[in-house]
Amino acid sequence: MKRKIILSILLTASVALAGCVAQQNASSSAGDIGQQSGIHPELTEQEQYIACSDCHKTVTPEIYEEWYQSGHGIGMVKCYQCHGTYEDLQVVPESSNCAVCHSGEFHRSPAGSQCWTCHPAHTFVMHK
Amino acid sequence: MSHSRREFIKRTAAISAASYIGMNLPLGKMGVVEAADADSWHRGTCRLCGVGCRLELGVKNGNPVALRGVAESRTNFGYVCMKGMKFWKFMQHKDRLTMPLYRARKTDKFQEISWDKALDIAADKFSESVLKHGNDSVGYYGSGQSLTEETYLFQKVFRGGLQTNNVEGNPRLCMASAVGGYLTSFGADEPIGGYSDIEQCHCFFIIGSNMAEAHPVVFRRVMRRKLDNPNIKIINVDPRISQTSRIADLHIQFNPGTDLSLLNAMAHVIIEEKLYDEDFIKNYTTFRKGDKVQVDFEEYRKFVADYTPEKAARTMGGKTTADDIRKTARWFATSKGTMSMWTMGINQRKQGVWANNLIHNLHILTGQLLKPGADSLSLTGQPNACGGVREGGGLCHILPGHRLVVKEKLRNQVEEAWGIPKGRIPPKPGYHTMAMFTAINEGKLKALWVNCTSPVQSLPNCNLYNKGMAREDVFIVCTDIFPTLTTEIANLVLPTAFHFEKTGVYGCTERRSQLTVKAVEAPGQAKPEVWIIREWAMKLAEKLNDPVIAKCVEPFMGKEEDYELPKAIWDEYTQKLTKGRDNDLRGATYEVLEEMADGVQWPAPTESFAKTGGSVKKFVKGIDPMATSESQNDLPYQFYGPAHPDRTLWIWLRPQADPEEIPDAEYPFYLSTGRIIDHWHTMSMTGRVPELMRANPYAFVEVNPGDARKLGIKPGDMVEVKSRRGVNILPAKVYEGPIEGMVFVYWHDQHPDRMINKVTKDAYDPGSKEPEFKICACRIKRLSGPKPLRPFLV
Repeated sequence: MKRKIILSILLTASVALAGCVAQQNASSSAGDIGQQSGIHPELTEQEQYIACSDCHKTVTPEIYEEWYQSGHGIGMVKCYQCHGTYEDLQVVPESSNCAVCHSGEFHRSPAGSQCWTCHPAHTFVMHK
Repeated sequence: MSHSRREFIKRTAAISAASYIGMNLPLGKMGVVEAADADSWHRGTCRLCGVGCRLELGVKNGNPVALRGVAESRTNFGYVCMKGMKFWKFMQHKDRLTMPLYRARKTDKFQEISWDKALDIAADKFSESVLKHGNDSVGYYGSGQSLTEETYLFQKVFRGGLQTNNVEGNPRLCMASAVGGYLTSFGADEPIGGYSDIEQCHCFFIIGSNMAEAHPVVFRRVMRRKLDNPNIKIINVDPRISQTSRIADLHIQFNPGTDLSLLNAMAHVIIEEKLYDEDFIKNYTTFRKGDKVQVDFEEYRKFVADYTPEKAARTMGGKTTADDIRKTARWFATSKGTMSMWTMGINQRKQGVWANNLIHNLHILTGQLLKPGADSLSLTGQPNACGGVREGGGLCHILPGHRLVVKEKLRNQVEEAWGIPKGRIPPKPGYHTMAMFTAINEGKLKALWVNCTSPVQSLPNCNLYNKGMAREDVFIVCTDIFPTLTTEIANLVLPTAFHFEKTGVYGCTERRSQLTVKAVEAPGQAKPEVWIIREWAMKLAEKLNDPVIAKCVEPFMGKEEDYELPKAIWDEYTQKLTKGRDNDLRGATYEVLEEMADGVQWPAPTESFAKTGGSVKKFVKGIDPMATSESQNDLPYQFYGPAHPDRTLWIWLRPQADPEEIPDAEYPFYLSTGRIIDHWHTMSMTGRVPELMRANPYAFVEVNPGDARKLGIKPGDMVEVKSRRGVNILPAKVYEGPIEGMVFVYWHDQHPDRMINKVTKDAYDPGSKEPEFKICACRIKRLSGPKPLRPFLV
């Protein structure tokens, strides 16, 4: 339980920090943020071999459950496909990341809008 | 408890695994943000799995920087899986092979040598073997990942030049039973329909396939069909509950190997409840048993009468009820369109061909074929097992264009097309895969060319065959892009260009041929295989003083290797050797394939027809031009396949039969193996992408919680998995996946302790010669609590 709390605090802090960083550096490269800048609690190399969802099932259960029940969860689109891995972690991915699979929708979306403005992150229902 | 165990793993001091395996990828290359910055995008197909997803490679300053899907694609609608999304990342990995490497003895260290010297050595060794030990002392072992042009040219030089049919490849390990099934049931290899049936299907019968992980983008189409239309039915038939089961209305679970009973019991119900299509049977069907002995419907009815749902349920182990079997049969027979989909759970079996036949039986019996949304669709494992190996002549018994080696007339057609003397191609098929590696063990095969595959890891019961490959009197050449366990036992390692670093065609599951044109330079001195074969063949011709070998590559001399050479090879193959064959590809020229972004489905005899996309369904007049040109009556379907001269579909009487090895007191568990979504085959490529490696760094053994309780195994414990052939030590995943009494292990891990093919069995189907990877007997034992493990790549 103690571990859960610590991880939750760390994660909440990182998400908040990431939000700021992401906003300030919207046009910067993905490598600017990540483990090195404290987005994610520090992990050893060995710990990095635990799948993201193994820990996040516990520390962010709501997000895990939303993802698991979504089209992405059923279709096995995994955390790292949108958020990257430790070297290039993006807590809030760029909308352009979505274009790898959803290029049609991405190019049709209103200029300046983020995908998750209409399609809530992790559930990805068609529209809010 | 589980937390403290995980904590233990996490907090155990570990060697830096990433540095251990040489991961050194640049930061900030997620591959998506940079995508917008690419200088250019280059069309092609995915390099991994058999789905045939259309992709674009982003290139900046001559370097690959991203991959993306294309929304209007007919195969993947723009979606890609993580492997398709990430494979650009290893294209410039520091471990790429960039220079020819040679050592006289397998215990020596490799030395870098020039291409001229490397090809000279390869020609010397193969010539020497032919002169001393005969033509059948040499062989080629290729891959369903090679381009069609590569497989075609290799087999041409071996058959027409070196006069041996010792031409094999890893598709023998995955698709041979599907070939056998299609030929014996429909008279022609490869599926009748394709992916476009998915959006019109009302009942999916997914058997022996965890397509959610092995074919994720096709699975996505099935998933979307179900989510958008909740009333359609999905039946998942597998001894193991998998990710695929998540979309199923009904999961049929059974003891491995007992599904032949299920399939016959479904036929029993369909006949008993008169759910069969009488007109379809009358117009298009005959019945066969044993060695093609013709019988009638009544004999078939009596045969399946013995397979009552109650009896089948008992045979299957009691986890599935008779009512479930009845429900399955009714859904299958009465839907507006039923598709079966399967992969290795059906093919990698001692009864692989029979299991394929029994699936086809159900489609023929109910007329769930040839109409929209109905098909009996074998999912191919590799990107070019169909196009290159099944169509291009990449197995020991077949020549290009679905021709059998044993037929003199067909051999003569090939000889004539190649301009070589009649009788040059030997009449006897060569060694099939397991016979080939047995011949190596026995010292009969002295020189082997392994292209784009790693048999040291991928053969069943590999300990046995690896002894042969390690022999000093067996000369092994490997052409590959990375070091593998097989390059580790080779004498000569030749670096090759990767996908998008060369040009050629892949043919995926649904008879679709797609062109990928070179977009970036290969690293170092890596070369396209077609150049390697041509240059090697010229040296062989000189050393053996045999102008016929030179004749095999004569049409390709002087062609630049990046486009003109593969184009000339493709032209020869399609124009001369598919003419009039059921895989007629004459319309699919490079010019047409460049124009048709999604490629062409054969038959496509003319360019104008190929430009429509080709034949969405075979055998249907008005859709398939050969159904019209080959028509013999007024019926809408014409089965012109080469294997059924009577032009009917055959329903086979095939009984339940046991696997080669079933559990006993000494080895009480079934062992099955399979793929995981993040990795491709032996992991030499995907293991070099940090995200993919981290997602699944080691193989593990899945144990049913009931069995785990009995044996005191907890999650993460180290467990010994032992068979009569070998042993693995793996971490346990306790999971309600495999049926009780069965364990399951992923086969990608290269580590000596976790390489599961040391444990699997090398029995094979007597017809298809495909090994029974999916079923053998083992015992398991808890060795210790969790231990920190390192990912491992050679």
